[in-house]
Formats: sequence, structure tokens, C-alpha cells
Amino acid sequence: MYVPSVTHPIGDFVREWVPKLSAYLPEQLQSQTLDTIVAFLVNAVICIVAVCAVNIGSAPILIYMERKVCAHVQCRLGPMRLGWHGTIQTIADVIKMLFKEVYAPSGADKLMFYLAPLIVLIAPFMVAALIPFDKNLVVSDVSMGIPLIIAVNGFGVLGILLGGWSSNNKYSLLGALRSGAQMISYEISFAMILLFVVMISGSTNLMTITQSQAGTIADWFIFKIPVLGFIGFILFFISSTAEMNRAPFDIAEAEQELTGGYHTEYNGTPFAMFYLAEYIALVTNSALATTCFLGGFHAPCIGVAAVDNYLTMVPGVVWFFAKVFFMIWCYMMVRWTFVRPRVDQLMDFEWKFLLPVNLLLLGAGAAYIVICG
Amino acid sequence: MFPNLTIPDFPLSFPLGGTDIAFYVVALIILITAVMTVAVKNILQSAVFLIFSFVTTAILYLLLHAEFIALAQVMVYVGGVVIFVVFTILLTSHLGEDAFTTKVPRIFTAFVISIAFVFVMIKCILPLPELSSGTVAAPDNYASLEQFALRLLGYGADGFVIPFEIVSILLLMTLICAITVARRSKEEKE
Repeated sequence: MYVPSVTHPIGDFVREWVPKLSAYLPEQLQSQTLDTIVAFLVNAVICIVAVCAVNIGSAPILIYMERKVCAHVQCRLGPMRLGWHGTIQTIADVIKMLFKEVYAPSGADKLMFYLAPLIVLIAPFMVAALIPFDKNLVVSDVSMGIPLIIAVNGFGVLGILLGGWSSNNKYSLLGALRSGAQMISYEISFAMILLFVVMISGSTNLMTITQSQAGTIADWFIFKIPVLGFIGFILFFISSTAEMNRAPFDIAEAEQELTGGYHTEYNGTPFAMFYLAEYIALVTNSALATTCFLGGFHAPCIGVAAVDNYLTMVPGVVWFFAKVFFMIWCYMMVRWTFVRPRVDQLMDFEWKFLLPVNLLLLGAGAAYIVICG
Repeated sequence: MFPNLTIPDFPLSFPLGGTDIAFYVVALIILITAVMTVAVKNILQSAVFLIFSFVTTAILYLLLHAEFIALAQVMVYVGGVVIFVVFTILLTSHLGEDAFTTKVPRIFTAFVISIAFVFVMIKCILPLPELSSGTVAAPDNYASLEQFALRLLGYGADGFVIPFEIVSILLLMTLICAITVARRSKEEKE
């Protein structure tokens, strides 16, 4: 009997231990098939728990971090009262959010109203499962990682459009339409930058992309291709900020104009899910930037053996999360320092500047590969 | 505890185990979402069910080891076409107020056509022995992205570079045509 198997070292570990443990069971219950099925189920549960732990666990940390970064940019202190420097503030907020009553506005399409937050969460969770956190720490090491990321990004737009339409509120609908148009446009340049990375590394597997950046800092894709890598990184930063609907591209939820955009009518747990999706997208996009440009889990070696020995002693996960949090900090600084452009300026920027530059970058990258190696 | 209990090696008559169970689950979801697509009164809801039926079809492709086709299905239909369907629906007013009614002759023809289709399927396709054997006929890595790309852009005997280029030129032509059509209407307005 064929049972699908989870192929990575942790999966091998589980497969090795399940038969040993099942030897203690009574004679009648022992069977090869049962062992493989149990091993598969245990592996599946481990994978799901890992993805949920990274995603849901990072959201409170990020909310606290955003408040602190925002406060310090604006010369305030931020949350200070609850716990040491306000550390329990987010937990209190989460508890408040979860205990709120959930209701839909009258005249709303109930099915779509409650389906939309679920759809929004699909894309970040699927992307998080693909990202290699360390040499052996990846939930699904699929060969088509980048196309999968591009494919599932469409779900985010769908969720936002449905949420805005089903709220039966014209501000929500306007916000959803704006955000849909914006995300569809910026998806193109987002995909093109990822194609640039695929072109340089010669693979669509995120683990292979990371492994091809092994070595010193100069081997990371941001520095490996002299100028193009850095331009690509900046373009990725801009298009992923727009893709996540974060400020300065938060046209969708411009409070002054739209009273909150597509999630105006949401409260309680559904609102928390929209909020969660936004912060998980922040984590996954930072992780993607780290994997594609900043060398993934590799230590920032500088080529001097004495220093590098100490740097490589630190496990890869630590380096990975250090880079991810640096990227998140960059996104937050951009959010709180830049002003929001108008809708037409935003669309002009994508179609008249970002897209041609992306095409030129792809051409230049191809020329670089042909000429230099 | 259970002295007479023995665990059978094949739980049910699923020769491929997990893959078979997954196939039946996915097929059931495809059927339900496809029926919901036409049965639901609201056009937007039916578009959403259509998206889910596309996604489950992509999962079916994944079970058949055609990963690229599955991703292309999600990319093109979910990411592209259906998003624009949703957009056009969003921009129409009086959505879902008058449910579309179907007349009796139409139902009759639909029944005749579907029964004929089922008859053809049972008569011609089910008896094929390759269908029920379930073994993978394609060589290893046949549908992987790398093999796929090499064949698509290869200029050897089994390459498809000329059709690929022709299709890309055709797509470029349609893009330019769409832009010119859109532009002209804007000038007329001014």
C-alpha cells in the first residue's frame, strides 16, 4: 500500500522511531502499513504545527515591534504600562479581540463575509511552508517553489475583494476595488523580480537558491551581480511593500478617505484574521527577501578565517531570523517615514516606471549571465 | 484487548492507498463546487465556487504528478481570469437581485446532453485498461519544470521552440490590439 511520505530529515527521524515505539504495542496491532500511516500522520502534524507556530507566534511580536518602532520614529515611548516596557500589551489586545462578539452587518452576504478572512490567510501560510529556515528546517522542499509563490499570491486579492464586497458598505467596496487594482498591478513586478532571482540561481527551488549563495557576503545575490543585484533588491522591496498593502502604499485602507477600507465592517475574530494575514505576509515577504537576496540561513562570512569560524558556529536559524527581523525593521521604518501617494500616482509608478525597469533588469541579468558566466 | 482483531493490509479496495483516497475526496469536492457554481443564485458566490473548483482541479493535477500544469491552472485561472470575472461582477449594479430562471426545454436538453456524455464515457473510456491500472506511465521527472522548459524551448527533434515563439508573438499582438482599442474609445470620449 502506498502512503505519501514527508521527505526531509525530521521525517526520516519520525519514520525511524515509529516502528521502535510500536514494538511495545500488543501483537495484533503491529503492522507495517499501520506504522507508515502513523509516521505520515505524525509528520503531517509536525509540519502543520511548525507553520502555525512560526506564523501565529510571530504576529504578537511584530505588533509589539511595530508599535515601538512607530513610537520611536514619532518621538514617543509607545506602550509602557503593561509589563516591562509594555510587553504584555499585545497579549491583552489579542485576548480583547478574541472575546469580542462576532456579527455581520445587516444586508451582508454572510457566507462570503465569513469566507473572505479565511481566503486571505491561504497565501501567507502556503508561502511560509516553502521557506527554508535552515539546512534541514523546511516543511516542503518542492522543486517549483517560486511558481507556487506567484500562483498563491492571487488568493490575497480574492479575499480582499470578497471582504469588501460582502460588507455591504460603499467605503469597503471602494477600498477593496482600489486594493485589488493595486495588488494585481504590483503582482507583475513582484513576479518579475522573482524571475530575475530564478534566472541568476538557475533553479526555482528555494533551498537550491539559498545553497547557491553559500560562501562569503559577496556571494549573496544582492552583491553577487555588481549593480543589478542591489537594484533588484530595491525593486523587490518596493513591489512587496505594495503587494502587502502596507504604507506608503496603503491606499486600500486610507483611514482619512475610506474609514479603514475593506475591513471597515469586520470586528472580533474575522478582523483579527485580516490583521494576522497582514503581519504573516510581512514575515513571509521578509523571509522571501532574505532567501532570494540576503543569503538565507548562511552566516555573513567576510572571508577572514578567524572571524568566519565564530560566525558559522551560530546556527543558521538564528542568522535567518536575524536577517528577517532586519528586513521587517526596514519595512516598518519605511511605513512610518514616507507619505502616502495618490491612487493615480501609485498606478503610474507601477505601469510607467517599475514595469519597464523590471523588464530592463531581466534583460540586463540575461546579458550578465551570457557575458560573465 | 481485542484478541480477534487483525489489521488488514488494505483497508478498503484502494490499490494506491493514500493517493486513491485523496482522489475520491478531491473528485467529490470538484463535483460539489461545480454543482454549486451553477446552482447558487448569486453570481459572485458562483464565481467563488468556480474558483474553488479550479483549485481542486489543480490538486487533481498534482495527484497526477503534473506539477507545472497544476501551478499554471492556479496562476491563470485563480490569479488572472477569475479575478477579472470578480472585478466585472463588482462593477455591475443590482447584483443578485433577479435570479436567472431556466426554462423547461433547456433543462431537457441539458439532461439529454449530459446523459449522452455519461454514456460515451462509460462505453468508450472506462474499458481502457490503462485507466484503471493506476501505474505511472511517464518516465521519472517527465513533467518537472526543468524537463518541461528544456522541451518547450528546445530546437531539436522533440523541441517546441517555433510554436512557442509563434504563440508569444500572437499574445503580444493581442496585447497591443487591446491597448489600441482601449485608447481609441478614450479619444472619442474627449
